[in-house]
Amino acid sequence: MNIVVCMKQVPDTETRIKIGSDGRSIDPADVEWIVNPYDEYAVEEALQMKERTGAGEVVVVSVGNERATTAIRSCLAMGADRGILLKTEHPFGDTFSIAEALANLLKEMEFDVLLFGKQAVDDDNAQVAQLVAHMLDLPCVTVVTKLEIEGSTAKAHREVEGGTEIVETSLPSVFAAEKDLNQPRYASLKGIMTAKKKQIEEKETQLGHFKIEVIEMLKPPPRPEGRIVGEGREAVPELMQLLKNEANVI
Amino acid sequence: MANGVLVFAEQRDGVFRGPAFEALTQGRRLAGQLGTDLSAAVLGSGIAGTVEVLKEYGVDAVFVADSEHLARYTTEGYADVFSKIVREKNPSIVLMPASSLGRDLAPRVAAHLETGLITECTALEISDGRLLGTRPVYAGKALIKTFVKTDPQMATLRPKVFSAETISESKETHVEQVDVTTGAERIRAKVIEFQSSGGDRPELTEADIIVSGGRGMGNADSFNVIEDLADALGAAVGASRSAVDAGWRPHPDQVGQTGKTVSPSLYIACGISGAIQHLAGMSSSKYIVAINKNPDAPIFKVATYGIVGDLFEVVPALTEEVKKLQAA
Amino acid sequence: MLSFFDPLLILGAFCICGYGFYRRAALWRIGTAEHRTDNLGARSRTTLSQIFGHGRILRERVPGLMHLFLFYGFVIPFLVVILFQLFFSLPPPFGNIFSLILDCVGFLGLVGIIIAFIRRYIQKPTRLESTPQDAIGLALISCILLFGFLVEGFRMGSLVTPASVWSPVGSVVAGVFHGLGLSRLLHATLHGVVWRIHFLLILGFIAYIPYSKLFHILVSPLNILLRSHGPKGALQSIDIETAETFGVSTIKEFTWKQLLDLDACMQCGRCQDRCPAHLSEKPLTPRKVISDLKNHLHSEGPKVLKMKAESGSDAGADQTLVGETIAEDELWACTTCRACMEICPVYVEHVDKIVDMRRYQVLMESRFPQEVVATFKNMETNSNPWGIGWAARADWSEDLEVKTLSESSDADILFYVGCAGSFDERYKQVAVAFVKILRAAGINFAILGTEEKCCGDSARRIGNEYLFQMMAMENIENMKNYGVERVVTLCPHCFNTLKNEYPQCDGLFHVVHYTEFLSDLLSNGQLRLVKECDRTIAYHDSCYLGRYNDIYDAPRKILSMIPGITRVELERWGANSFCCGAGGGRMWMEELIGQRINEVRIEEILKKKPNIIGTACPYCLTMFEDGIKAKDAEEQLVAQDLIELIARSME
Repeated sequence: MNIVVCMKQVPDTETRIKIGSDGRSIDPADVEWIVNPYDEYAVEEALQMKERTGAGEVVVVSVGNERATTAIRSCLAMGADRGILLKTEHPFGDTFSIAEALANLLKEMEFDVLLFGKQAVDDDNAQVAQLVAHMLDLPCVTVVTKLEIEGSTAKAHREVEGGTEIVETSLPSVFAAEKDLNQPRYASLKGIMTAKKKQIEEKETQLGHFKIEVIEMLKPPPRPEGRIVGEGREAVPELMQLLKNEANVI
Repeated sequence: MANGVLVFAEQRDGVFRGPAFEALTQGRRLAGQLGTDLSAAVLGSGIAGTVEVLKEYGVDAVFVADSEHLARYTTEGYADVFSKIVREKNPSIVLMPASSLGRDLAPRVAAHLETGLITECTALEISDGRLLGTRPVYAGKALIKTFVKTDPQMATLRPKVFSAETISESKETHVEQVDVTTGAERIRAKVIEFQSSGGDRPELTEADIIVSGGRGMGNADSFNVIEDLADALGAAVGASRSAVDAGWRPHPDQVGQTGKTVSPSLYIACGISGAIQHLAGMSSSKYIVAINKNPDAPIFKVATYGIVGDLFEVVPALTEEVKKLQAA
Repeated sequence: MLSFFDPLLILGAFCICGYGFYRRAALWRIGTAEHRTDNLGARSRTTLSQIFGHGRILRERVPGLMHLFLFYGFVIPFLVVILFQLFFSLPPPFGNIFSLILDCVGFLGLVGIIIAFIRRYIQKPTRLESTPQDAIGLALISCILLFGFLVEGFRMGSLVTPASVWSPVGSVVAGVFHGLGLSRLLHATLHGVVWRIHFLLILGFIAYIPYSKLFHILVSPLNILLRSHGPKGALQSIDIETAETFGVSTIKEFTWKQLLDLDACMQCGRCQDRCPAHLSEKPLTPRKVISDLKNHLHSEGPKVLKMKAESGSDAGADQTLVGETIAEDELWACTTCRACMEICPVYVEHVDKIVDMRRYQVLMESRFPQEVVATFKNMETNSNPWGIGWAARADWSEDLEVKTLSESSDADILFYVGCAGSFDERYKQVAVAFVKILRAAGINFAILGTEEKCCGDSARRIGNEYLFQMMAMENIENMKNYGVERVVTLCPHCFNTLKNEYPQCDGLFHVVHYTEFLSDLLSNGQLRLVKECDRTIAYHDSCYLGRYNDIYDAPRKILSMIPGITRVELERWGANSFCCGAGGGRMWMEELIGQRINEVRIEEILKKKPNIIGTACPYCLTMFEDGIKAKDAEEQLVAQDLIELIARSME
């Protein structure tokens, strides 16, 4: 079984976000870059599928600048066979242009399963899997928490409000991984050493026209200062009032 | 020339969902600002009679796609039909709820229409005649303001951020059946089964509100005060590591370093001292309420609101207040 | 009385013994290389002092004395009698004294044998597992001793005045035979027979040594001689660039010394009696780990030797140990508290073996408790086990305006804060208090701030040598760039790692733990404690301060300087202290089997009724605070770091 995983390198979720000088994106200084956590589930799923069928190849594809090779290398250390970097100096492309770049590459590749994370934890768009699927005219199941492949059909569980949908689809197909899909493995040192010898193909890529335009990035209003509302049950009415009118959460 | 605001009015089993009304309310406001019409699209099977309720939200037109292929949501079927409606009606703005369905469907529709999409908006406004969406990025650590450069301008609305408001005066609404030609054979991914999650409580990681108990609960039975509050709020129940270790709650309920990482809009920590292992799993919650008898407990450092006191007094009182509020 | 053939018999016995030794030593050599022959002078000194002084063995009174009696009661007569009887005799005054000594130690030997029988076959402590070998060995020794006295008795019985104050035991035996009124001829014949049996028993004993537990007579001194002479707290390093495989998966991948260890272990079980994992009902006991590995070595090792001899191949004994010989739950239960290694009379290195096997699991197989994945990733990305953003590392010090080295490189000492002091809400209070103390004492110090990385202790002890080295290298490079010479740490784990392990990565700094540092400041008057503290405190020796670095006095000295304080010692303290349960990376793993180690310790602490359990380690502090809550003892007992007590007692 041939599996392609689309992976994005993102700032670590603990990173302190500083707004860049352009006022529209983050300041990349002091950022720790990691493999998008949802994409790790996708990579793990791909590896397990390959291990189950005992044949095929897991290819990791990413769009980004040179720095993204370290993220691809991490996936190779987990066990993916090779990587492709669609290299662009515009690391913050919009979803549509990135999906186009991916689709252009994927059109030339043969695969049974195309995996994504359900969203990247940087811009949290959750769009690219469906965009690529449409561009390749493939079915797509998002927020997958369980995936079973049998022959050329797949059964995917997806979490929705109030329950789980079990979706059946034919292969090739696109899936976007949700958190509970599996437990991503920790790359062994053996894996890291082997990954050094695996191939990462870099392809210079021009992103197409953007469909959206970010005009401003700003800090959210600061977290309300924590305070002790009061003591014992007497404080409850005031807490209710705060939750209702200040926090607007109930 | 594109014109008008079209809202995807999500329904399931003939019942419209809250996020659909929230989107309609925003659509109406935006349409008002632009001086154009608000319309709604409804997809489903046997739903003709259900669209009446949409009139209360001031829609000028409702486009109904009624077909047995649309009885159950499929990405491909819905995307085909809905994008066909959009092409035909040519609105300048398309709004959808960022529900499970909306999050799945909207990007596929955007791909059909080759247009831009702003997902999970928390604010919408009109600027220079164009839609300007505000949305959180980096898990809420920053916000971006975004235009869509192409038409139609698509956006999804994060549930529960916007309010749903009906209009007082009645309005003439034009209801139109649309031609549905999508063949079942073009739908490759189909829902073959739906497993209801049984309990009415939401998943921990997806819950909007979580009520958690810790060592202070004392035993497994006292978790019923937590459950009562959770049920009153429609919240999930969580637990700290020490409560799970003590065997009072199952491991899947554990929030923290070695359990689940959650970021609900409201996290109510009861009898949880706030050990760092626990904070690692929940400190990104939007609002945190701490109820603990020890005023020096570290949980108060991260809590938005704290009550120092016995949780067995405070929590039931809180449950009462919540029920009172809902009854009102 | 030796006949012509006897030298041949003696030679034969020694040959059988030598052959047995050779066979067993050949098994050790299937292991990998290790250098253990440096420092021979010091090595010999400790070996001799342990042999003749029995220092470690005597750490347990009854079994220790038992062995001491047996040792002197058997080995001394054995050597002396042979040498003296065979080759020369002493003039009477010396002979008499010798005779008295031999009689006495021989008698003590008999006492030792009786204690051994009672312990092994009547008391039967759980840690002793008896095999037929044990019975044979004990029987042999008792027979030899008994026949020794019989020989003496017959010899003296044939004399005109059999009783002699110089041979009290012999006199009693002689008196018995004398009383029987045997004829001179029969007496002489019996003397000869008894003598010969005694002689043959001794030869049999010699021949039997390498094939039984008696082997310890040879291998224990050897193992003590070859024990590690590096700093106690340092694990062996791996050269990641050149190694092809990491850690230990099969028995052959242990070093020859680790295999020698297996043979040196006599299954006395002292380690088991002190193992926090075992005492909290987990499947691990160090005794069993060693014995299981030993059995594996003895069943598989010979196959390796055979194949090598027949075909020159390196095959054989290729079974993976973990999952087969050693269960995963055993492997991960170890807190690396070192109680086993500290008590072991023959210096077996249990912890090193466990970490070596963990290394293979982590570095090659990526198999370890699931919850540790997050810990590793957190360390990789944010250089702390909790995964809080690295940029927040110095946030605790913001209000205090603590200088970082990048701001003031002329500081006299680097305060290495560690992850707990930097990120754990509870321990941040300790870091803040420490800064106040340093300022009160007028110390010119600085921190690394956000440039500080995790020291790597947990990563290394869980087996992730790669992650440890990455973080260590970064710390060392930063510290070297600032020309750091002296470092003070809060956490004993940081202390041990920086002091004993960073030198392996060329990080040579003068590292002190705060207990030593503050105890000096208090002694020389730079710091004065004036406020009364009307409380009773028990100090808990953290493993990495105590057993790993022998710091027992400094914390106690600090406490004695606090006016008004009452000190009590716990039942297990000093080198005998009982782990809090968090070492060896256990802090980051779930404790799902058996009792919780921290609760076991809290129960013990509560018995002595202190108001405060004082610690000098953030792990211990966390574990105790959890344990106190679990035991509902918040009213009686609080856990506090010594720093907090000092800060409160300052002017």
